[in-house]
Amino acid sequence: MADALFRIQDLHLALPDLSRKPLLGRAPLVHILKGLSFELPQGAITGIVGESGSGKTTLGRILVRLLTPSSGHIFFKGQDISRLDETALQPLRRDLQMIFQDPMSSLNPRHTVGYIVSTPLKRYGLGNANNRAMEMLERVGLPAAFAARYPHELSGGQRQRVGIARAIALSPDFILADEIVSGLDVSSQARVLTLLKDLAADMNLTIAFISHDLSVIRSLCDTVIVLDRGVIAEAGPCEQVFEAPQSAITRQLIDAIPLPEVDDSWFDDVSEA
Amino acid sequence: MKQQDKMMDTSPPTLQVEALSVAVRGGPPLLRNVSLTVQPGEVRALVGESGAGKSMIGKAVLGVLPRGIEQTAGRIHLQGAALETLSPSARRQTVAAVASLIPQDPLTALNPSRRIGGQITDRLVRRLGWSTRDAQRRALELLDRVRIRDPERVMTSYPHELSGGMRQRVLIAAAFAPRPRLIVADEPTTALDVTVQKQILQLIRELQAETGTAVLFVTHDMGVVAKISQTVTVLFAGKVMESAPTAELFARPQHAYTQALIAATPRYTHPHEPLRPVPPELVAALRRDIARHDEAAHG
Repeated sequence: MADALFRIQDLHLALPDLSRKPLLGRAPLVHILKGLSFELPQGAITGIVGESGSGKTTLGRILVRLLTPSSGHIFFKGQDISRLDETALQPLRRDLQMIFQDPMSSLNPRHTVGYIVSTPLKRYGLGNANNRAMEMLERVGLPAAFAARYPHELSGGQRQRVGIARAIALSPDFILADEIVSGLDVSSQARVLTLLKDLAADMNLTIAFISHDLSVIRSLCDTVIVLDRGVIAEAGPCEQVFEAPQSAITRQLIDAIPLPEVDDSWFDDVSEA
Repeated sequence: MKQQDKMMDTSPPTLQVEALSVAVRGGPPLLRNVSLTVQPGEVRALVGESGAGKSMIGKAVLGVLPRGIEQTAGRIHLQGAALETLSPSARRQTVAAVASLIPQDPLTALNPSRRIGGQITDRLVRRLGWSTRDAQRRALELLDRVRIRDPERVMTSYPHELSGGMRQRVLIAAAFAPRPRLIVADEPTTALDVTVQKQILQLIRELQAETGTAVLFVTHDMGVVAKISQTVTVLFAGKVMESAPTAELFARPQHAYTQALIAATPRYTHPHEPLRPVPPELVAALRRDIARHDEAAHG
């Protein structure tokens, strides 16, 4: 835990707001991330939480360098990757994997599960890709026979497992998981979260887990970063943040969770939009 | 709760579903012998996992079952009217006058190429015969009531100009505008984040309490059930597992499946409890039981 896999320094991102672009000339910039600095400890699961529009998905996309920051630095295993071009990023890609919210749109419907999981292995020329793909399916609790199926033949929870199998196939250092359980039933959610936790421990994975559900974050993550309109409102070990939240937005996010307990006073403090 | 009891004693139910079965034509049943009532002013949660048939009940009530799926048995009474006995057009008219839907996904529920105002007033003017002026006034009043700032501007906006939370407010306004006696809320907060969800739940609760509207609230989230409803019906594979007042259900869940659903819901207040999915043995046993019933019913 001592070493940081990621070290982020003063990260900014501004993108042109095309909805306000004048007929002639440049679109005005919207600042999405406004100077974030933090570390992701090696082997830890870090929750990233915030309301919609807080910048959590954008931050995730910058970590795996699907986006280039406007300024600031991203050190991954000590190397500054914030300005690397696609060619220079190529060898790092296998260490930076991601799992998406909607597996139906992130798994190609025309390909079998086996093909989907084995493709990255073939891409990196790793031994017997098909055998390894079967192994990965079993590792995420799917029978090897599922390799012949297509994504639409699976349930939501099973599809999400395929996404996980693809992400872990290359034994990456880092996995970005963006709202991966928000479309699932509680039961599938419980299974996917338990699986992810086991895999993280077994494979020494570092995970950034983006979610708006603080109950899920509390049960899965070691540390948490609370984002509020592009800045870090609060960060720290889960225990500390949940027991004694320091920022108003953290308290608001915690109060908004509907616990499965009858409580007539829950609505009393609803803040006006 | 006291007040609730009194209301239940004096008025007939807004919605009464008796032994409803729905099936794919020539195929397996999707709802099996479902009975439930919703009293005036009551919020009844319908909870279950995906595929449990919870949305199908709302669709059957509103008469919008998907093509190829039909009601095979049972009766639906809406404000005392037996819907099966009505002609299709009379049924549509009755449902339109009495019931509204708050859908799950506000983006697909709104026509992207039409302004908000018309999408709220259409039903008032075309189906219910209101004057355009009354309908406009009512729409403005409701937009203001759901705490949309600058309702006049929103009336002339297009859906893509509004945030997800705003769009859901618009749909709540549209649902309450015709003064319905029943609202079917089909996972209305599933697409929203927690803070917006809380505001939307609060709005639905306020408006339904003010107007005494009955609500059938479809959700898969036991947390939302606990906060919004007075009564709950738990569904599994189209079959009612348990129906109870909400407080009682959480205090003493009777059915093993209800207990499992509650246990599977993570609570930030209990971080060290392991997450427990619904046990596969329980699911298998329930399915076996249902298959046996299906066979007995057919032969």
